Order: sequence, then C-alpha cells, then structure tokens
Amino acid sequence: MLLWLVILFPLLGAALNGLLLRKVSKTVSHIVGASALIASFACALTAYMQMMSAGGEGQVIFGFDWLEAGGFKAPFQFILDRLSGMMMLIITGIGSLIHIYAGGYMHEEKATWRFFSYLNLFVFMMLLLVLGDNLLIMFIGWEGVGLCSYLLIGYWYEDDANAAAGMKAFLVNRIGDIGFLIGVFLCFKFFGTVSFSELKDIIINGNALTGPQLEAVSWITLALFIGACGKSAQLPLYVWLPDAMAGPTPVSALIHAATMVTAGIYMMTRLNFLYFLAPDTQMIVASVGAATALFAATIAIVQNDIKKVLAYSTVSQLGYMVLACGVGAYAGGVFHLFTHACFKALLFLGAGSVIVAMHHKQDMQEMGGLRKYMPITHAVMLVGVLAIIGFPGLAGFFSKDEILWKAWIGGGPVIWGMGAMAAVCTAFYMTRLLMLTFYGPNRSDHHTREHLHETSAVMWAPLVVLAILSAVVGYLNVPHVIPGLPHLLFEHYLSPIIHVPAAAAEHWPHLTATYSHSLELGLMGISVLGMFLSAGFAIVLYKNGPSPTAIKLKKSFSGIHKVLTNKYYVDEFYFKYIVDPLKDMSLFLWKIVDTVIIDGIVNGIGQAFMLVAGLTSFRMSGSLHRHAMVVMLGIFCLLTILLF
Amino acid sequence: MDFFNSHVLTLTTFLPLLTAVAIMFTPNLAISRWVAMGGSAVTFLFSLHVWYYFDAQTPGLQFVEEYSWIPSFGIKYIMGVDGLNLLLFILTTFLTPLILLSVWHIEGSKQKAFLSLFMFLECGMLGSLVAFDMVFFYIFWEAMLIPMYFMIGIWGGKNRIDATTKFIIYTVVGSLFMLAAAIVLYLLHYQKTGTYSTNILDLYTTAPLYETQLWLFGAFALAFAIKVPLFPFHTWLPDAHTEAPTAGSVILAGVLLKLGTYGLLRFAIPLFPEAVATYAPIIVSLGVIGIIYGALTAWMQKDAKKLVAYSSVSHLGFVVIGSFALVAGGNQISVEALTGAVYQMINHGISTGALFFLVGIIYERRHTRMLADFGGLAKVMPWFAFMLIIATLSSVGLPGTGGFVGEFLILLGTFQSSPIAGITASLGVLLGAVYMLHLCRKILFGPLDKKENQELQDLSPREFAYLTPLAILAVLMGIYPNLFLDKIRPSVEHLAQNYKQYRLVAAEQPAKDIENVASSEQSAESAGE
Repeated sequence: MLLWLVILFPLLGAALNGLLLRKVSKTVSHIVGASALIASFACALTAYMQMMSAGGEGQVIFGFDWLEAGGFKAPFQFILDRLSGMMMLIITGIGSLIHIYAGGYMHEEKATWRFFSYLNLFVFMMLLLVLGDNLLIMFIGWEGVGLCSYLLIGYWYEDDANAAAGMKAFLVNRIGDIGFLIGVFLCFKFFGTVSFSELKDIIINGNALTGPQLEAVSWITLALFIGACGKSAQLPLYVWLPDAMAGPTPVSALIHAATMVTAGIYMMTRLNFLYFLAPDTQMIVASVGAATALFAATIAIVQNDIKKVLAYSTVSQLGYMVLACGVGAYAGGVFHLFTHACFKALLFLGAGSVIVAMHHKQDMQEMGGLRKYMPITHAVMLVGVLAIIGFPGLAGFFSKDEILWKAWIGGGPVIWGMGAMAAVCTAFYMTRLLMLTFYGPNRSDHHTREHLHETSAVMWAPLVVLAILSAVVGYLNVPHVIPGLPHLLFEHYLSPIIHVPAAAAEHWPHLTATYSHSLELGLMGISVLGMFLSAGFAIVLYKNGPSPTAIKLKKSFSGIHKVLTNKYYVDEFYFKYIVDPLKDMSLFLWKIVDTVIIDGIVNGIGQAFMLVAGLTSFRMSGSLHRHAMVVMLGIFCLLTILLF
Repeated sequence: MDFFNSHVLTLTTFLPLLTAVAIMFTPNLAISRWVAMGGSAVTFLFSLHVWYYFDAQTPGLQFVEEYSWIPSFGIKYIMGVDGLNLLLFILTTFLTPLILLSVWHIEGSKQKAFLSLFMFLECGMLGSLVAFDMVFFYIFWEAMLIPMYFMIGIWGGKNRIDATTKFIIYTVVGSLFMLAAAIVLYLLHYQKTGTYSTNILDLYTTAPLYETQLWLFGAFALAFAIKVPLFPFHTWLPDAHTEAPTAGSVILAGVLLKLGTYGLLRFAIPLFPEAVATYAPIIVSLGVIGIIYGALTAWMQKDAKKLVAYSSVSHLGFVVIGSFALVAGGNQISVEALTGAVYQMINHGISTGALFFLVGIIYERRHTRMLADFGGLAKVMPWFAFMLIIATLSSVGLPGTGGFVGEFLILLGTFQSSPIAGITASLGVLLGAVYMLHLCRKILFGPLDKKENQELQDLSPREFAYLTPLAILAVLMGIYPNLFLDKIRPSVEHLAQNYKQYRLVAAEQPAKDIENVASSEQSAESAGE
C-alpha cells in the first residue's frame, strides 16, 4: 500500500500542476511539486524500513494484469528489494532536495506549473522504471523518463536550439530503446517470460540452459546493453547528453546526472545473473565503459561552459559505472551510482546557483573570484569537487577506487589504465572548473559583478545537505585495505541481489579469489598520486584565471585542442554520414519513387483505360458520370461472364 | 427488449441511414445538425449495448441475425459480431458523433447534404463490418465509396477532383478483382456442396485447390491491400487525405483504411489459408517496406496533413505484418502479433483521427497547413499543444498509450515469426518518432515569430469536447488494455490457431445470457431506487 503512495504522489502532483493549477501563482506550483516529492520520500522511507526490518527480502507487489496476449504476460507488478528500495530512496530523496531548490532557481519564470508538472511526472516514471518487476514495466518507465527529459530539455522551447536538443535526446534514446525491445523479444522467445523474478528462477534454480538459450543470453544482454548505452549515455550514443544541458539546471541535476542516466546501470545490475552468463557481452560492456570514461573526460578538459564540463564529466562517470558492471563489480557500480548521485547533483545545483548569480551566463571565462560573493556555494562546491576527484576520505575516493581495483583484477591493466587516465583527467578539469569559477580575479562585466550575491536559503540549504552526503556516504563501503573501519558494508548489503550462476562461475574467478593488500594499496597510491599531481597542475594553470602557461599550452597543442573543443567531431560525423544521407534518401523516395515511378505506373494504366474508353467513343462530360458508368458497366460485364 | 436484442445489429447499422434520410427532410441546417447528432448518438448507445452484452468467453459469432433473401441463389441477410469486428464497430459509432461535433460550426447551403452523406457513410461502414453475407458485404463495401467520393469531390481542396478520381479508381479496380474472385469462390462452393451460398460462414468450408487459392487470395488481397493501403498501392492516400475536408480525413484514417486490414482477416486469410503461407513473405516484406517507406516520406513532407497521411502508410504496415506473422511452421499466426494487429487498428483510429482533427483546427484558423507557416504555437495555444502531444505520443507508441500496446505486440509476434522482419520493422518505432517530433517541433516549438500566429485562439469548448474523449481513450488503451483485449481474445486466438481450417459458428448462447444480466440489472436498479 505504501509503495503505491510512493508512486502516486508524484503522479498526483504532475496532474494537479499540469491540468488544474495552470493559473495559480508559481509559489503554489512549487509547493505542490515539492510536497508531492517529500510525501513520496516519506512513504518510500517507511516502506524501505519495513522491508529491511522484515529481513531485507524482496517483496513482490501485484497491481493488476496489464498486458497479456497469447503466451505473453506482463502484469503491472512491483518489486521492492534492496536494490530497487535503495534506488527509490535516491530518486525521491535527492529528488526532494532538487524540487526544493528548483523553486528558487525558477523564481524568475512566469509560469512554472509546466516545469513542476513535468518534473513530478519524471519522478513517477523513474519510480516505475526501478520498481517494475518485469522488463515491460521497466520499459514504461524507461521511455517515460525519456519523454519527460524531452519535455524538460525543451522547456524553453521558444529557442529553437532547445527544442532541437530535446528532440535529439528523445531520438538517440529511441535508438537504444530498439535495442531494449529486441532484448525483450529475445527474452520472450527463449525463456517465455520477461519477469525478473521468473528469469532469475530459471537461471539460478532451473535446469541447465540449452545451447540455444545460452547463445541467446549473449544476444539478450547485448541488445539490452544497447538500450543502456542510449539511456546511460555511453559510446556511441552519448551525444544527446551534452546537448541536454539546454534544460533548466535542476533538470540537469535530477535527470541528467543523478537518476535517469543511471537507468542502464540499474537495469544491468537487476539482470546481473544474465550478464554473468555472457562473458563476451561483459567484455564489450567493460570496454565501452572504460572507453566512454576516458573519451568524455578528455573532452571535458577544454570546455568553457560550466554545464558542459559537468555534462561530459557525467558521461565519464557513467562510463565508470558501466565499466564496473562489465567486470562483474555490480556492487561497486551501484555504489558509485549512489555517491555520484550525491556529488553530481551537488555540483550541478551549485553550478546552477552560479548561473543564477551570473544572470544566466554559463561561460567560465567570464567568471572568477566568486568565492567572495558566494561563500556558501563555494564551500559546498569545494566539497563536491573534492568528492568527485577522489580526494581521500570523501565519497568519490571510496567508490571510484573500488571500481579501479575491480577493473584491474577483472578487466586487466588496459581497462584499468583507461579508468585511471580518466581519473587523472577528472581531477584536472574539475579543479580547473573550481579555479576558473571561484578563484582568481572576477572577469565578468561591471553590471553582472554589481549584482553578484549569494543565493537564497531555499537554494543553498539543499546544497548543504548534499555536501554533507557527499562527504560521508563513502564510508558505507570502505575497502579491506583501510584498517580500523567497518569494511564493505554496501557490498554485503547488496549481495542478496547478486547471483553468479553456477554455470558461469568459471568465468568470474576474481570475484571469489583473494588478493594481496599491497597490490590494491599500490594501485590506490598511484591513482591518488595522479589525482594530486593533476589537480595541482590545474591549480597552477588556473588559480588566477587562465595563466599565460595555459594559453601557451593551448597554442602549442592547438591541433589536439581543436579536436577536443569540437568534441572529436562526432556530431558532425553522425550528421554527415547518417542523418543527411537518410534525408536525401527520404527525399528521393518521395519525389522520385512515389511521385514519378509509382504514380507514373498508376496513371499509365489509367490512361490506357481512358484510351480504350476513348476509342470506343465512350465519352461523357463530367468525369464522375464517366467513372460511375465505367464501374457499373464493368460489374455488369463481369457478372454476365461469370454467371452465365 | 427481446426484439431489440435480436435485432440490435440491424438497428445500429440502419439507424444512420434512417438519419441520413431524415436529414434530407429537415427544414434548416440547425435542425439537421441536431438530427444527425441525435441519430449518431443513439447509434453509439446501441453499439454500447452490443459491447456490454458481448460474451468475451467464446470465439463464436454473436447477436446473429439471419434471414433468407434470394433462396435460389443462396443469398441471405446475415449479420453478427465477434472479436474481430466488435472494436471496429464501436470505433465507428464512437467517431461519428465526434466528427459531427467538429463540423458543427460549418455553415452553407450544402452542409445539410454533407451531414446526410456522412450518416450514409456510417451505415456503409457499419454494414461492411457486420455483414456475413458476401453480397451484402459487397453492397456495403461499394456503398461507402459514394459518400466518400462526394465528400472529397465537393468539399475538398483545390485538387479535389483529381484526388477523388484517383481514390475511386484505385478502390474500384481492387473491388472488381475481389468481386470476380468472390463469384468464382461462390461457384466452387456450389460445385463442392451442391448448394448455392453466399454466406461467408459456409464459404469458409470451401477450401479450393491450392493453385486456385493462389489466384483468389491474390484478388482479395489486392482489393484489401489497396484499401489499407499497403505499399506500393498507397499513392491515392496522401492525395485523398490532403484534399479531403477534416471530417473526411478523420473517418478515412479512422475507419475506412481498417476495412482493408479487417478484410484481410475476415476474408483473405481464412478463405484461402493454403495461399497465406505462400504469400506471407511477400506481404510481410511489403508491410515492412511500407513501415520504413511511409515513415521516411512522412518526414519529408512540408504539409502537416500529408505528413499525417504518410504516417498512416507506416502505421498500417504494422497492422499488416501483425496479421501475417506465421509461426509453428506456418500452421498458425502468432497470437501476440494478431492481437496487436487488431488492437493497433483501433489505436490508429484514435490517434490518427485526433491528429487529423488537430491539423484541421489550425488549418481553420490559419488557412494553411504548411509546417513553415507555424512555430511556437505552444505559447498561444497551450491546450492545443497538450492534445497534439498526447496524440503524438500515442502515434509514436510511447508506453502508457495504446500505440505501444499495439506496436509492441505486433513486433513481439513478428519477431517470433521472423527476427529479420521484426528487427527491421522496429526501426519504424524510431522513424515514427522522427517525423512526429519533427511535426511537433515545427508547429509547437521554436520562436512565435509569425505575426498571424500571435493572436491565435486556443481550443474552444467544442473542440475540447471532441478531442478529450480521444485523448482519454489513447491513454486508457495504454494503461488498461485488458478492457479491450479481453473482448477480442477468444476470436483472435481462434483465428490465429486455426486459420488453416477456420470455421465460425454462431455462439451457442447468444451473448452471455442477456435475460439474466438484464433482469439482475433491473433488480439492482429497483433496489437502488
């Protein structure tokens, strides 16, 4: 019952704001939107506590029969277990903070009912995604969050670029969704079910899989992974996420950092027993994750738009999570999902505060020295940056190092190397962001500078909460090598969800093997050292705005710099080799095939008939009469011939 | 009550005809509007009676009426409903009052004739859906063309004559093939059994030789493929849609096209099952081509109405492939796919009907349908934007709308039948979003920079009144499909699993013991009082 309230509150909020409260003041919209989320969070917390106090076993909650045809069955049914419960808390908890903050951020908007309605609807869809007990309910949420993302990216739709960005997000996601659908089709074909619990039963407790089934598992996991690439912005489908920054910043924080984009990681973790059975797919997953982590991190180095830096950073961090899934470290991936949700929401909202203070300017070249004007924002952003770059003791340190360690033992030195390189880049670009924004001289124009000020409490209070979380949540999963603290609590917490099927155990020896502490400590040392060097380098280059050295470096590596600024020309490539040819072909189909060829043939036949009609001097004035007569005569002739 | 129950199909079918005649005798347009609305509303209520008392447990034919007409030729008057035509029947009666509401404001001396023709058309559509005698079916089938011909030809745009001629010629050519094939089938049935019958239920037992079936199936399939329209027989559709008045487009897309796909299910497949397996790969290929081709050409359109018209080619492609997704070595049709196909027919009627209404609404205000003439309308017409987005979402098959249920089941079943076809058709899901979001972006989003658009009025209460039921249904069909699926399940499963030896008989107990239900209802009512 409680679980129903968890999902119904946001839906109710969306309906109220979207349908009934269009004329009320924006304060009312904000209160309705935020309280829907807070109520939902309260119910979620209670439901979660109940579930955990009952031993943390998964509960299946049946709603109603939804989609049934032939042998296919997808009831509207939820699963509340340790994984979905935790996701539910992240979504409603961080969602509540962001909803509160959004009231301040959207303060200058004329009508915010639309904004809060979409945002509530998004939370509803996201909850369906994580709570659904089968792939189809998950898919409702999966596409539903895509819809809300589309609507929110295009929130300021009067700017055509925003509308275009929203559309791009939807369409690129749909490419992934086709993969997801094919995964569903295959799943049904080979296992006869799309229910998570039934699938798990078949894989874990059922008879040994047949050859075709085993082969199908590889394809199922791969197809679903294509879906994950779309939603979680992995290579080659990541291109929508940077553009998605056109939406209001709270949207970027909630949807494009903390929750929606992690759906792919959630899905793979939910189906970990399938992925364990497909080591080939897992190799691809790990490689894609590592490549994305590094690729996006390099682009982030040269971006000047504060939100773009964070966007590429998000792509890169999602790469880590995917990499973790690929090497079988699901707990590590989900843990990074959790810590990332905290510190990336913090960073985005902090950036949002900066943007508001800067009168919606986002170029870091025009910022600088904001520390003086916005001390609270500076303090929380500092925590966020330290958390993401893996400063020892903060959240990112624990979650990222766990992934890098698992990458070494599960994926080998190359995968680890890519991850470590990405970490070094992260330290650089995040420190650069901090320096350019908060330190050095202020480079904004006079007018902007005069109005620089700290934001209101409704905006900074949620940031303080997120900063505290970013500082402490890492201690939930302390690695063995650090003495004196309770170890790997999170991994133990999640272990009932992770099942390595007996048939797959041989592929995953490193999950059970023991390793020397010195190796793990050594790797940790390397990455911490790299982080310090890289961050230090960024401080030197940017502590007083872009230093002459920075400009010189940019000039001497102008080739590389240009490629990075243009994001490796990936968008251009897609347009030139996919979109434009498709357009040309479509135009050809319409103008030539349809209009000339098919219609030509039809008209030719028609004219032939007319000719015959003309020859038999069967002409009448109005075309209507002629056709009617032809028809009647034809029917008559046919009847005569056939009947007699 | 007894009389009503046993004649409800006849009453529902011919009430519109009666209304059409009555309209001719009304003194003025105002009264004729009310007559039309009253007639169509009562027709809708009658059809709801059928819906309510329809027995969802049996694949048999229900509410059967059977009278001998010309015994020596074996021509009978037979009507009935099963799960294959029930939903289409109700869709027709449901859309008609909405369409009448959409033309409520149109003045002019010819408008009375329009209303009358429209009611005549409704009779034709309902008749073709429930007629189970070949002759009657054919009469209804051809009768539909007459009002459609005039509607496009008189009330259409500037190329209306060309468009309506093309429409009629295409359709009539197909129909003639069908007629010829039907007559051959009739004679074959006589040869085999020694009795003349035009009863379709009898004709199902004919089972001609394989080679004969190939020809006959081809003729029937051609007639229906043109109606659907299946690529490459579709070029009449964009023209007809573009030239037709809004009301014509809505009913054309909403119901008339479905008669093509319905015909395939009711006639072509069960009458000539041996030919199905031979033709299925070709038809499925054409369907898949149509999905992709229709979507790509829709994307290129500059006229909003033409875009929606081409989208129908794509959507109906889904219905066709769902109807021919053979499994079990060709001995069965995938139940999932066939369920989806029947469902998608209804859903397409709702979502595309709504889209044509919406395009009509801005056309009336601006007298243009060119995408380039719009932009930023969401600002001045927020409720219009809301409705257009709902219709778009259903059209692109977003989960939670009816479009998803239909497309998903079709693709699921098609994939089981042929993975290649399933995967290729899945691209239609992406391309559907491409052209529909393109449409939304061009009309609703971007700067509101054209002066003519800045003063546009949002939806009027009347427009609300006919769009809201469609929007609600589009969502309801996605959230609770069982409401509809439960009714069609037995019939769909029966056809899917037994199409090779399809037999249809009247349900033994016509319509879940109407007496009991009715009396218990009455007692409940009296108790309430």
